[in-house]
Amino acid sequence: MSPTEAERHRAFLRQFTANEAAIRAFVRRLVPARADADDIMQEVSVVLWEKFDSFQAGGWFRPWAFGVARYEVLAWLRDKGRDRLVLSEKAVELLGSEAEASEPRLERQREALEHCIGEVAPAQRNLLLRAYEPGARVASLARESGRSEPGFYQWLYRVRKQLLDCIRRNLAREGWS
Amino acid sequence: MTKEFEPLLQRYLDGGISAEEMKVLNSALEADGALRREFVDLLDLDASLGAMARQRETDEDRELVRPDFRAGWKGFVALAASVVVAAVFLWAWQGGSTQSFALVEESTGAKGPAIGLHLKGERIELAEGTVKLRTRPGAELVIEAPAAFRFESPHRLRLEQGRLAADVPPPATGFTVVTPDGEAVDLGTRFGIDVTDRGQSEIHVFEGEVVAHPSGPGDPTSLRGGEAYAMRGIEGGGRELRNAAFIEGDEMSALRAALEAGQRPRAIAATAALRRDAALIALLDFEDGKPDSGVYRSVQGRWPGSRALEFVEAGDHLALDLGGGRDWPQLTLAAWVRLDRLGAPYQSLFHTDGWSGDLPGQVHWMINGDATMRFALRDNLLAPGSDEAFGHPDSRTPVLAERGRWVHLAVTYDADAGVVRFFLNGRFDKETRLALAHPARLGPARIGNWDQQDRKLSGRVDELVLIGRTLADSEIAELFEAGKPYLPSE
Repeated sequence: MSPTEAERHRAFLRQFTANEAAIRAFVRRLVPARADADDIMQEVSVVLWEKFDSFQAGGWFRPWAFGVARYEVLAWLRDKGRDRLVLSEKAVELLGSEAEASEPRLERQREALEHCIGEVAPAQRNLLLRAYEPGARVASLARESGRSEPGFYQWLYRVRKQLLDCIRRNLAREGWS
Repeated sequence: MTKEFEPLLQRYLDGGISAEEMKVLNSALEADGALRREFVDLLDLDASLGAMARQRETDEDRELVRPDFRAGWKGFVALAASVVVAAVFLWAWQGGSTQSFALVEESTGAKGPAIGLHLKGERIELAEGTVKLRTRPGAELVIEAPAAFRFESPHRLRLEQGRLAADVPPPATGFTVVTPDGEAVDLGTRFGIDVTDRGQSEIHVFEGEVVAHPSGPGDPTSLRGGEAYAMRGIEGGGRELRNAAFIEGDEMSALRAALEAGQRPRAIAATAALRRDAALIALLDFEDGKPDSGVYRSVQGRWPGSRALEFVEAGDHLALDLGGGRDWPQLTLAAWVRLDRLGAPYQSLFHTDGWSGDLPGQVHWMINGDATMRFALRDNLLAPGSDEAFGHPDSRTPVLAERGRWVHLAVTYDADAGVVRFFLNGRFDKETRLALAHPARLGPARIGNWDQQDRKLSGRVDELVLIGRTLADSEIAELFEAGKPYLPSE
């Protein structure tokens, strides 16, 4: 690997690691399931590296990466999403074009989540995060926690609402809304 | 304002939304910026929770949630720089090895992942060869091509295609293999998983216990040593254990040592020399890619990327028509095979069609229930005083090991001298004398079965040679030495 090549790799790695979580969250917001997002991210990371030459040094990596990711999501929706219930292309375009503007708000919400998750009772928190592990089995988690499967989904939604309320209360207190 | 859409959002997140509701949600999202914002916040929270859960699993910190998740999130960012980048940036990661899911310990085949590579979440496609991986908690995994897989955590491997043999020590218990048809959860054991290109996932338990969770209908099923199970809807259920279908760790080391010592070119040269033998009747190495007539699977042979035929179900076979129209007073049959130890009465290596009194000298070469070889010719008679218990020449030493291995089987026949000689892995095993010995009669035949009655063969045949002369002991030994895929590893 030549020194310039190595430098190019390092530059990419710096940008990619700094923005990977935001790009993954961006993709996740546009597809029905987290597992779909994981699959698309594999492709996105390859394309970002392949097209890194076309990214202008000094430009903003994240908006550029969002653009690449949006394209990959649309390709996925047309291909894999055909027989699934997914967002319309128009909705994806709108959400995609608003993403960069939403990012500061979302970043603050992610930080507030770190505080708010601590307010959930430990047993509930444990159950919640187990439900979010890759390949989690909702049926057995529901059984384990003494709920029906629909009851478990209901509970998940309620906890997420509580977290979102907590996050918004926190940001309002800090003068954000 | 967005209250009315809450049930729709909830069902979208749970995957339970109907087509009608999706239409409503889409047009509302297209029209309403405030709803889009609500949607984005909720989905972003979902992404964050997913990242936290993944980070927690990586930390192997299942019971305690860290009070400060900021560190967790940042850790996740560093960790998530995985994917394909890992392969490209191996050099940049040396410090990150403590967070990897698994390490590549051994690898054969030119295109496999490099030895020493730390695997995280990247997808690996293995076109040829075999890799041996060690997960961070210590499970040993050997995966044979063609395969595609990726780790979801140090405890979970998603296997899209390929064969995996796992040896899971107590600290790694609970290791889970996710297949297209369900999950296999280890409870302390050695087991194999076969995900074929036809999309059927089988679990074979060599030792210990594994629980199968089929993704389709069917309850979780506990499997013990010696049991096998296919996770596939109504076609699923119990199967016969195929111990030889999987390459385990100790075998892998011996395979790699042989490759590094240049065994493969040596084998190719020996095969080329055999093709020039004036007495050659046929040499089947299945490498020309031409479809052969029969029912079988095409799988990897002794060498990375080479081809062998695999027979699995009763009735699988390869149909041939060789050496017909003349007698063969001298004959040698030799094959590289990798067979399951079934305990069924017979496995067919080479059966001429029929077994008829008006065709004396018909050849049936098979493996008996006790794993010895039999070489039977129609209407031959054993010499007086023979110690053969079953009326046919049988070899002495069992030719199939408890654990699967490639073995070289050979038999020579001399009708004029009335002698059958058996060889296992190049070594003379036993001689049987005959009082009446007809010249061998070939023609239409099957490998892997007999046309009259099922004599199922279970396993792979890599190379089979028929020669119209009696090879000397030294020639058989050289066939084995040149073709063997193993050397003792350092």
